[in-house]
Amino acid sequence: MNAKLIGKMFPHPRWAVISVPYLWLLVFFAIPFLIVLKISFSRLAIAMPPYTPIMEYVDNAVSLKLNLTNYIGLFTDSQYVQAYLSSIKIAAISTLLALLIGYPMAYVIAKLPPSARNIAMMLVILPSWTSFLIRVYAWIGILKPNGLLNDVLLKLHLISEPLQISNTPTAAYIGIVYCYLPFMVLPLYTNLVKHDHRLLEAAYDLGAKPWKAFLTITLPLSRAGIIAGCMLVMIPAVGEFVIPELLGGPDTLMIGRVLWNEFFNNRDWPTASAVAIVMLLLLMIPILIFNRVQQSEIEGRLT
Amino acid sequence: MATEQLNGTTQNGKAGTEDYLRIVDVRKEFDGFVAVEDTDLSIRKGEIFALLGGSGCGKSTLLRCLGGFETPTSGKIYLDGQLMNGLPPYERPINMMFQSYALFPHMTVEQNIAFGLKQDGLSKDAIRKRVEEMLALVQLVKLAKRKPHQLSGGQQQRVALARSLAKGPKLLLLDEPMGALDKKLRSQMQLELVNIIETSGVTCVMVTHDQEEAMTMATRIALMDSGRIRQVGTPDEIYESPTSRFAAEFIGSVNMFQGKVDEDMADYVTIVSPSLEAAIYVGHGISGFEGQEVSFGVRPEKVHISKEEPPQKYNKARGKIEDIAYFGSHSVFHVRLPSGFKFMANFANQQRWASEGMTWGDEVWVSWGDNEGVVLTS
Repeated sequence: MNAKLIGKMFPHPRWAVISVPYLWLLVFFAIPFLIVLKISFSRLAIAMPPYTPIMEYVDNAVSLKLNLTNYIGLFTDSQYVQAYLSSIKIAAISTLLALLIGYPMAYVIAKLPPSARNIAMMLVILPSWTSFLIRVYAWIGILKPNGLLNDVLLKLHLISEPLQISNTPTAAYIGIVYCYLPFMVLPLYTNLVKHDHRLLEAAYDLGAKPWKAFLTITLPLSRAGIIAGCMLVMIPAVGEFVIPELLGGPDTLMIGRVLWNEFFNNRDWPTASAVAIVMLLLLMIPILIFNRVQQSEIEGRLT
Repeated sequence: MATEQLNGTTQNGKAGTEDYLRIVDVRKEFDGFVAVEDTDLSIRKGEIFALLGGSGCGKSTLLRCLGGFETPTSGKIYLDGQLMNGLPPYERPINMMFQSYALFPHMTVEQNIAFGLKQDGLSKDAIRKRVEEMLALVQLVKLAKRKPHQLSGGQQQRVALARSLAKGPKLLLLDEPMGALDKKLRSQMQLELVNIIETSGVTCVMVTHDQEEAMTMATRIALMDSGRIRQVGTPDEIYESPTSRFAAEFIGSVNMFQGKVDEDMADYVTIVSPSLEAAIYVGHGISGFEGQEVSFGVRPEKVHISKEEPPQKYNKARGKIEDIAYFGSHSVFHVRLPSGFKFMANFANQQRWASEGMTWGDEVWVSWGDNEGVVLTS
């Protein structure tokens, strides 16, 4: 048997490499997504699992019934619409806060001497090595009426009675900004550390004061980092469940909690699935914008 | 030795054209390392002045002190009578063309050139007019809307030049202006750059490690070595009468002999060198004494090479051709003398195939005129 024939019998080895991520996406993304999509078109039933099949085989005919009540319900019931809007608002404000805190952090770290940079980045990333849940619980300890923050402020006589922060939207903001800050700092740092210092010198040389040089040179050149950081914070923050649940109290309305309620408290899998699908579609918009910007960034650099 | 001495008479008065830019005792240290030793320089208005030297000689540090990017440890810098010390870069009437240009990648050619003008708060019309003038000056009108990465190296250089000239600075600084260009483009751009700079009439200080570039572009050159200025002069002064072995050896090639002054007369000197059988005869007096250790240098193109023994008694040597480097316009013969000294002699190929007469291993004579070499005491 010659080598060519053997080669034809087995697929090219490069497929072995390429197929790994595709298989991963298929098994852990596409299939679960299709299952959720299917459930979102079914009806609630008291059964196991608690929904009706959408495909039926009756009288020698396959019938596919796409039930839209779940979706219609989402848009007619103001509770869902409000939850979506509130999620987006909370995520957007958190992202803005994370940007306002994260940009100066990344900027200062990028200006440090190289040996100090790595230590500083380590300090940014290190908290993520402990459990997410433990860190959120720690914030409960800090923010509760007799917690660390109130103790300190009372002792310093800055306040006369404890501040009510825990179980308010403020606490949810603090939690989200805290937990997602590294995701803002990392892409910004990666971007800022690559900046050519001579561009700033050229700007000074041409008469720009440091603040003006920052606005006209550094800021526009870090656009890609800003967009990447905002996406990395905004997208998971919209669907965030743990932080609003543990820190936010009853007033913090977010779509993740609605989803949890539908799924576990109401056992309404079809509505929960529809909520999830709409959330995914909402998040697709910023992801697509992000991709486009990155694409043009790469093309711009290649030419 | 031959660095020009400043006369500090116009200390505070309006500077004349003779000392438009004055660098007085400027010294720069980094953590105990002296990058620039106490340096004095004065540069005339409209001059293109080159700081020439190898890497680490302090030329770039000195330039950055002028631009305001480094603060001198001590010393003063005056431009047009105005003290520059303490002024940040954005308040100096000085603009710099950076090495590899530092063009703003997110701005078009137009926006790059307009950047400095915008900082001055000029009206939109005035900015547009000035940008058009500059684009015309560097012949980039058609590329005004391009981004820097869409331009060739030579075009980028012209944008950088236009950007640094747009504000009409009193002093233009060029940091290795040809550093990012390939060799062929370099020689073309050197003259083009000089033309543009002369058209705009700006005083210019450039830094380069390339002697050809300095000699082509500059009206005067300061030769720097380990933080010190070794010699200041026009290109031909530095080439033809170097004041030190360093200067002679840094610029061009030279045959350098160690020797002792044998006869020290008012109108001539003879030098005996262990490398040469015949004595060296210099047709003018020097400020030295008999028995003094000196160096004698003669450049390869001043040397005559022939198969016949020259009639003169001095300034000649016999040897064997060891290497021939053919450059087209001339050939360089490397002649090994009996003392082991390798002597370089240029032969101008004025006729086609002219250098064919001499080949490897041939016995030849090299000789030079009484006034073609230089005697160096340092």
